[in-house]
Amino acid sequence: MSDRTLSRPRLGAAGDALRHQREWFATLRGQAAQGRPFALVNADVPQELLRAMDVPYVVNQWWSSIISAKRMSGRYLEALRERGLPDDVEQYSALPLAEALSPRGDDAPWGGLPLPSVVIADCSGDSLRRMFQLWESELGVAFLPLESAAAEIVPANWWELMRHDWETAIGSPRIDLLQLELQGLVPRLEQLTGARFSPERLARIMALSNEQAEWNRRTRDLLASAPRCPVPVNDVIPAVMIPQWHRGTPWATAAAESLYREVSSLVAEGRAVVPRERRRLMWIGRGLWFDMDFYRSFEQSHGAVFVWSMYLALAADAYARYGDDPLRALAARFCAFRDQMYTPPWSVEWYTKEARTHRVDGVVHLISPDSRASWFTTHALRKAGIPVLEIRADNADGRSLDPAALHDQVARWIESLPDHT
Amino acid sequence: MESPEPRQAATDLRAAHDDRGLHALRRAAQGRPVVGYIGCDTPVELIAAAGALPVRLAGRAGRDTTLARTYLDGCVDPQAVNILAAILTPQEHDAVPDQTPAPDQTPAPDLIVITHDCDASLQLFYTLRELRRIGAQTFPPVHFVDLLYLPGEPTRRHNLGRIRRFADQLAAWRGRAIDAAELAEAVADHDAARAARTELRRRRRAGALSGSEALRWYAAGTAMPAREYADTLTAALAGDTARPAGRAVFVSGSSHDTADVYDALEGDGWLVVGEDHDWGDGGDQPPIGEPTLEALTDHYTRAVLPTVARPPHRMADAIRDAVGGSGAHYVLTYCRQYDDAHRWGYPAQAAAAGVPAALLRDQPYAGIDLPDLSSQLLSQEARMAR
Repeated sequence: MSDRTLSRPRLGAAGDALRHQREWFATLRGQAAQGRPFALVNADVPQELLRAMDVPYVVNQWWSSIISAKRMSGRYLEALRERGLPDDVEQYSALPLAEALSPRGDDAPWGGLPLPSVVIADCSGDSLRRMFQLWESELGVAFLPLESAAAEIVPANWWELMRHDWETAIGSPRIDLLQLELQGLVPRLEQLTGARFSPERLARIMALSNEQAEWNRRTRDLLASAPRCPVPVNDVIPAVMIPQWHRGTPWATAAAESLYREVSSLVAEGRAVVPRERRRLMWIGRGLWFDMDFYRSFEQSHGAVFVWSMYLALAADAYARYGDDPLRALAARFCAFRDQMYTPPWSVEWYTKEARTHRVDGVVHLISPDSRASWFTTHALRKAGIPVLEIRADNADGRSLDPAALHDQVARWIESLPDHT
Repeated sequence: MESPEPRQAATDLRAAHDDRGLHALRRAAQGRPVVGYIGCDTPVELIAAAGALPVRLAGRAGRDTTLARTYLDGCVDPQAVNILAAILTPQEHDAVPDQTPAPDQTPAPDLIVITHDCDASLQLFYTLRELRRIGAQTFPPVHFVDLLYLPGEPTRRHNLGRIRRFADQLAAWRGRAIDAAELAEAVADHDAARAARTELRRRRRAGALSGSEALRWYAAGTAMPAREYADTLTAALAGDTARPAGRAVFVSGSSHDTADVYDALEGDGWLVVGEDHDWGDGGDQPPIGEPTLEALTDHYTRAVLPTVARPPHRMADAIRDAVGGSGAHYVLTYCRQYDDAHRWGYPAQAAAAGVPAALLRDQPYAGIDLPDLSSQLLSQEARMAR
């Protein structure tokens, strides 16, 4: 195994994205301190609407990942428990609320999240709506909820339909509903923030975000077909996800292109995370934010490399929506977003397709407490002949897992997989 | 139908609760279809108008849920898992042991209808849809009715579309459209049942019934033909009833589709004087009145709010009112394992209650931690008295 490969500096696109994000957040904090309104939104809220109004926003789950990475989740969740609120339910969505309800300290991640002017979330599950209403009742922050509709019948091959034929993939009623809700959201946001919505700007944002998705698709396809994995997954995740939260900006589109070009040249050079790649692994589930080094910890010992996480794959397949009506296309981007990850048949067929195209030898399947339909995912993969290791833990709550025990468990399982050497 | 005398009516209601297949079996024997439904917001009028008996599917303590847990794993309310077990193993009869009919005589529903009243119902639907797709299990056809609850016009329009589609699906299922007269009769029958339920609530508040008996009488209404239920309940309420003494407690949180928890509470010296879940007082609905799909939509969008769709501040206000109206001296927020949404509203509810309040979390299906309840409530009462 080459030391050169293992000690290679971080992917340039990842470093650039992390730097950009820190600068952007510092600017946002400064603007918030000057009284500029900003929004806190869940990851599957149509953020492009806010961008088309020039209202800055922070993605709730991204901020949770920062809290978790700084190992602050336990302390903040304690603030919920002290108020008699659950500290063990939907932590990934609850952490920013927990921080807001905690005493302010000098050690807050990145200086801490300022109090938002408005929070927006969809009503998926039973807890989210009640949790987000606490922003309003406890902190005086306006909460704008969106419905989370469900379909009775869906075609399984959503990733083939979604870019152009999303009406067929999703069904018109769900799109109608979110489109109407977005039309109603605009005046409410204008009232709350003083900003103005621009349809022309939304059209440009949708075009840029579709272009960004196309770059991500090329990167995903490149990584799937590369003989050996050229980039570590914990570099790919920030390189994809930080631009994702800036979706629809020239910077984000350029960042996606830059990632593609960097990966492309690495593949051309024959670079590999593990020169003697013996096992290719897939990680299904959310990122293990409090221990991102985990993903690289089997490279030297087992020649095993994580070649897949959902973040790039979703960026490749789940966002692009083409159409003449930008607002309707935006509604189509998000009204069934969670289903792509969590709801069979979409989730299981997609994971199986991705496992095959990436030639994985095994799947580590993280089942968070709020995961759904995990049996079907594991069943479909095993039926396709792909070994699966299930791990039950909350990805954002460092208290839920013993990193050493997890490492040992995964190591033993990897040893049971076929070795390519 | 001639109204039964009060004592017989009470016996009939209890029988319909204890054996939820009783009336379904009678209907099946007449060659008429039975539709099993999940969700307090199911438009039962449309099912009845299509000539079928709507029976709300319920769990049962002691049912073997091993297979169901395999599929519906993760954080899903065990009540939904229990119902899935019944769907996957319909030959297992739900009657109380040693009573007729025999186990293999209970009909499986001809059709299953599931609404989006809570996440557990949605996950149950997804599970059935996927089990059918991959051919893992066989069960009756399933329809999903995606009714939602935010107060805006987009939601109402969405729900109108879903109710129209459901009416079309029922028409296709039975081979004939639902006509105006059928819908009018069904709405009138269910409005009569609603009125009888409202009277039950009034009588209960007046101190005439135990909580477990009230819950049985309510639940019977989801397993009987609506008009027959209205007549039977009205007759039962005409009789003399009395309730035992007990420490009056109001129950919030998870729903109770059997009387097991209430029996345990009242066997321990508590008296359940009210609840906000939809199998009990919380299932109270105003009449629909006009027999149209638009009126059904307004009703099921605005008047029937599943517990998890009720805003916490409204729940807290309701608790304050309910404690006053029911004479409760204590409030219990009961959360089954994985039915945690209620916990987000608990601090506000406890503050609003004005009486000792307890939270029991992670409770098993049909079970309750009575020592924990007593410990929480009585110690709080002692503190408040000081």
